[in-house]
Amino acid sequence: MSLVVKNLSVINKDQSVLFAPVSFSIDPGEILTLMGPSGCGKSTLLSAVAGHLSADFKYKGQCYLHGQALNHLSPEKRKIGILFQDDLLFPHLNIWENLALAIPEQIKKSQRKELAMLTLEKLNLEFIACSSPAQISGGQRARVSMMRMLLAEPDAVLLDEPFNKLDKSLRAEFRSWVLALLNERKLPALMVTHDQEDLPDNGRSLIWPWRDIENNNKESEHA
Amino acid sequence: MAEKVWTLTVNMKSAAQRRLFQGLLLFTVVICFMPLLPGLAGLIFAAFGYIPAINQYQFSLTGFYQLAAWPGLTASILITVFVTLCSTFLSAAFAFSILQSCWNRPWWKKLENLLAPILALPHVAFAVGLAFLFTPSGFAARISNLFIDDSFITNWNLINNQYGLGLIFGLTLKEIPFIVFMSLAILKQLNVKSTIEAAQSLGYSSSQAWQKIIFPQWLSKIRFPLFVVMAYSLSVVDVSLVIGPTRPATLPVLVWQWLNDADLLTLPKASAGALLLLILCIGLIYLLRFSEWLIVNKWRSWQFSGPCAFPLPGLSVLLITYLITLATLPILLLWSFAKRWSFPDILPSSWTLRFWRQEWSYLLDISISSISIALISATAALLLVFIIHEHNSRAASGRNLIPHLLIAVPILAPQLSILSGIQIAVLFVSTSHYYLWVIWAHIFFVFPYIYLALDGPWRSYDLRLDKAALSLGLSPWKVWWKIKLPVLMPAVCIAWAVGISVSLAQYLPTLMLGGGRISTLTTEAVALSSGQDRRISAIYALLQSLVPFFFYITAIITSRRTGPLDNQIKSTA
Repeated sequence: MSLVVKNLSVINKDQSVLFAPVSFSIDPGEILTLMGPSGCGKSTLLSAVAGHLSADFKYKGQCYLHGQALNHLSPEKRKIGILFQDDLLFPHLNIWENLALAIPEQIKKSQRKELAMLTLEKLNLEFIACSSPAQISGGQRARVSMMRMLLAEPDAVLLDEPFNKLDKSLRAEFRSWVLALLNERKLPALMVTHDQEDLPDNGRSLIWPWRDIENNNKESEHA
Repeated sequence: MAEKVWTLTVNMKSAAQRRLFQGLLLFTVVICFMPLLPGLAGLIFAAFGYIPAINQYQFSLTGFYQLAAWPGLTASILITVFVTLCSTFLSAAFAFSILQSCWNRPWWKKLENLLAPILALPHVAFAVGLAFLFTPSGFAARISNLFIDDSFITNWNLINNQYGLGLIFGLTLKEIPFIVFMSLAILKQLNVKSTIEAAQSLGYSSSQAWQKIIFPQWLSKIRFPLFVVMAYSLSVVDVSLVIGPTRPATLPVLVWQWLNDADLLTLPKASAGALLLLILCIGLIYLLRFSEWLIVNKWRSWQFSGPCAFPLPGLSVLLITYLITLATLPILLLWSFAKRWSFPDILPSSWTLRFWRQEWSYLLDISISSISIALISATAALLLVFIIHEHNSRAASGRNLIPHLLIAVPILAPQLSILSGIQIAVLFVSTSHYYLWVIWAHIFFVFPYIYLALDGPWRSYDLRLDKAALSLGLSPWKVWWKIKLPVLMPAVCIAWAVGISVSLAQYLPTLMLGGGRISTLTTEAVALSSGQDRRISAIYALLQSLVPFFFYITAIITSRRTGPLDNQIKSTA
């Protein structure tokens, strides 16, 4: 039950290689952080794993989730949740509807609302259930976005600088909340960031220029 | 002392300028909105039988009784509403399915560029070309005759189909590109790419995300263009004369025939019909708004009920739309040079220039009169739009002089309804000066298109440029002329061409206020479409489509050589 990336490299339109092949494996409940300056291709790597790579890029290498190859799976079938830099709540739906939208298809109509409300209650946010995304605070939006991702029941999670746009004061709290949730659900998580502060205390990290983690696992272990 | 005098003169000068501007503003409002008053008043008075021009001074309901007693009325209303709803619904659905499956594919940009010539094709020329393609002896039948037995094909009747199927077909094909075009700006606002990525991470496929998440947002924003399509389909006369049903004809065609009746006593009936058309239009706009509310707001649970989607055709719809629309021009061209073209030959068996030569001098005459009317009215409307937009950008934000709804009235209200009132009012004032009335009516209908085309550019203009220029010591007038206008020039060129093509395509205003004395390419193309000779009909339809095309090309070329330097296409030198 883990997310495995083998010899993944992304190739630009002009055939230049964006980054050298990387390999790593993330166990359930574990979080691997990729560090790097902006433009080094860390978000592109996430796009490749998620299946959102734009037509300007090509990639080589393999990704596996639970032993299943992802390469030829369309993005929505990969069961990979993404926490984006922006919350990307859909502006025409209110908060509980945004949550209900993510609930898997099998769950019937009446239960969808219940489940969405229950999720909000757990966060003590039931009072924003009928607000529009623009009406609530940035911190609330971030948390709703996280819960929406989890409601879709992903098997792995990608975090694309998710704390970047939050206020300094909110940041630490939201980060530890997200990491705790991921750990609790035993989800393998891959995070990219350029901020040292985002590194979790107990996770592994790869610092730019990334090398095969299989070989230098020990040295890059973060204290 | 000297300083004081100087300030005083400056103050006087700016006060005079302000007064001049206010005068211009008032003038604009009078030209562009005042016709609505006699339009509506004349319509209502005439419908209730009060028509001084023909010595009718008694209010009565005779017009309505005559209207209700007309035997085909119910059938005509039903078919009109049927055609309107079908073509609006189908064009919206097909346009959305094209967007869903083709938007942002690698070749999409090229298709976007192809939208311009398709939109520039006038409705009448398109309808004539469509008739040439799909009559029982048309080009489509000639092609299919190669492959299958012709007994089925020669019996079909799509054009002038009694249930309006041909009209639905034509209107839908013509409006799909319009809705796609209007959606481009909307999709840019909606962040489609990130929305779809977010939805995919939640387990939605791309088409599920389009239908469940993009569609409700798109529908709310495409509302006004859908109103336009709906109102146009409801009230169109020219296209309906060419490819519409005949027994009974659609309601606007009936009203149009009654208005042309030599017996002036049918005028109350015609006006009652025109009023009915207006009421239908308002009713259908509310119906459309109500359905949107039901789908998007009231019964909204489908939007978050989980991933599922209808299979929609996209590419095939796109190809059919482009193919048929673009095929009309070559067909018109072939016919205009055909001497003998008997069924089922694919090409004419002999060719001739005779019809072009025969029509040439008259063609030149009416081309010149069409183009002069179009140039005068589009240029005048453009100047008036400048005045209104300048006023709006000076006024406090959110306080526009003219509410948007009022601007849209000439686009949304059936032309027949407004014009029949204006016509009656004109009868009251003076029956000569045909060119004046026709040009005024053209300005009235062209104005809102130019206004809307320039609304976005005027809003997005960076007002700090004005402030910077003023601080450099330029006078306000000079700032406008030297800075703002050149920066906005590309948009102005396109808006001007839009105005010209709208004016060129006007059928009812030209005939109704010209008293039948002014002919343009459009009025001739419609008149000849029901004539015996396809070759002559083809010549006029062809010319009707080439003239606006010429102005669009000119405008596009000019717009690429003006405006901010970054936008200009680098010259090859």
